[in-house]
Amino acid sequence: MEEKIIAIFDTADEAIAVVRRLRREGVAENAITLMSSEPIHDYESGDERPSRIGGFAIAGGIAGAAAAIALTVLASKQMNLVTGGMPVVAPWPFGIIVFEMAALGSILSTLGRMIYEARLGRRLSDYDEIIFDGRVALSVQCADEESRRVVKRLLSPPDQAK
Amino acid sequence: MMTDRPTDIKINADLLRPVMKSGAAWYATVIVSGALLLAGVFAFSYQVRHGIGVWGLNRPVMWAFDITNFVFWIGISHAGTLISAILRVTGAEWRRPVTRCAEAITVFALMIGALIPIIHIGRPWLFYWIAPYPNERGLWPNFRSPLVWDFFAITTYLLSSIIYLYLPLIPDLALLRDKSQGLRKKVYSLLSLGWRGAQLQWRRLERAVQVMAIIIIPVAVSVHTIVSWDFAMAIQPMWHSTMFGPYFVAGAIFSGIAALIIAMAVIRRVFRLEDYLRPVHFNNLGLLLLVMSLIWFYFTFAEHLTVWYGNEPAEKMVFQSKISGDYAPLFWTMIVCCFLIPAPLLAFKRTRSVKGTMTASAMVIVGMWIERFLIIVPTLAQPRMTFNWSSYRPTWVEITLTLGMIGYFVFLYAIFTKLFPIIAVWEYKEGLAHRDAKPADELAVAEN
Repeated sequence: MEEKIIAIFDTADEAIAVVRRLRREGVAENAITLMSSEPIHDYESGDERPSRIGGFAIAGGIAGAAAAIALTVLASKQMNLVTGGMPVVAPWPFGIIVFEMAALGSILSTLGRMIYEARLGRRLSDYDEIIFDGRVALSVQCADEESRRVVKRLLSPPDQAK
Repeated sequence: MMTDRPTDIKINADLLRPVMKSGAAWYATVIVSGALLLAGVFAFSYQVRHGIGVWGLNRPVMWAFDITNFVFWIGISHAGTLISAILRVTGAEWRRPVTRCAEAITVFALMIGALIPIIHIGRPWLFYWIAPYPNERGLWPNFRSPLVWDFFAITTYLLSSIIYLYLPLIPDLALLRDKSQGLRKKVYSLLSLGWRGAQLQWRRLERAVQVMAIIIIPVAVSVHTIVSWDFAMAIQPMWHSTMFGPYFVAGAIFSGIAALIIAMAVIRRVFRLEDYLRPVHFNNLGLLLLVMSLIWFYFTFAEHLTVWYGNEPAEKMVFQSKISGDYAPLFWTMIVCCFLIPAPLLAFKRTRSVKGTMTASAMVIVGMWIERFLIIVPTLAQPRMTFNWSSYRPTWVEITLTLGMIGYFVFLYAIFTKLFPIIAVWEYKEGLAHRDAKPADELAVAEN
């Protein structure tokens, strides 16, 4: 039966040391979650996929620009605007709208991708609010009784495991 | 290594105090700003009832206080997102207690700025006609019009700024979720999106904020450039200038920094956050304000010099009315407020104190409002046909609306400080961790 064990540490260094021990003992990387009230830059996750937020920002920008080109060009052609002999499709002013909508598309896709990659918008579980008082929480998912025993042993001193 | 870091419990208590408790100063701020807002609402309802003729507008001056306020508030909005994004991208560590104060200014100033064209159209309930959507009236916005560019630019900037304010707020919303009860807890739970401080979440958040900071800088620059093009695209004396874009952007950043300093000084005093918004922040922002004051003066001088040297009659008339004519008192007040007093005040470290920067900022705000007025009204009052010359006097409705907008801004800002930490708690803690990790000699160099 799956079980989650949460251990609380006073400092990030202590938590990172325990994470290293867990890794050495073969605990799967995706079973370990380190939680804190501020980013811990010294912590390196073993199997974390590289973020695609940047790529999505570019894709969102291209989509926004395409939508703007469609909007301005198609709409201008359809409404037969009187332009005094100037071209109906005017790249200079339309370019401004294309730029703005490209930026908007880029920002919205950045937000969407960030929420997806950070696994936000899900029910809060496997968490201890004590982290906001400066402590660091380590959550380890144990697949069976044997791994639970290993994890409990490694999370020393014993009173830290709950 | 530094070891004098305050505990997280103390930082939480200090920075969440404004949210958890309300002092007399906060209530006084809400009452005064709320009263101004109500006065503005009354003036607006009077205008809706009687028509836009209750303003002082008359041919040929059909833009005045309203567009002055529009340009002014859009300019103020450059305080936040742009400055915050630049400081983030350049890795300025001192930015940490400043960014949220600044980002909130952007959102509220933009909300007010975006409201003004709606007020100005006279029949505000038809404002949605400007939006491009298929309709039975056969109406469609002209994408060549700078006013339509405004619609796209301001919408993009407002949405981006709200997202840019919200993203770094998520961890603090989670903190509030854990520290509050009842309805508040439910609302903060919803807004914090199940944030639990996992390292994956931190890394994704930081990446997203970094990407957004890079995107939002050109957006912010474009917004005020486009506002300047509302004027520069017209072949009017002293409007049709190629440098209007950068001139407006420089002025926007200038007034934006001034607004930020004032907001920070008030927040510091009202919420007793002297340990967090320290003199070093006012010193650094004061230096930025000084640089912008010099840049603004350079642009103003260059703009007026070319008009004077060109000696084109229509332009020269407008120029003369500013320098020595009807608008001279306002023009010279602007020069005093934007340059002659702030620049020396900010140039010396001794006067670049909290009070000194606050005084300079208050003057800059007044000066920049006048600058916007002087860009708009003298040109319209003196068109090329001299028989058509006129003047402009605001009515009580316009003055009350202007005061109402100030009240609205302060009111929104005060409510924001009641609902969310005005200093980013996690960013502040992260800054302390960075400081602690630095060797003492490196720290001394960084602080100098």
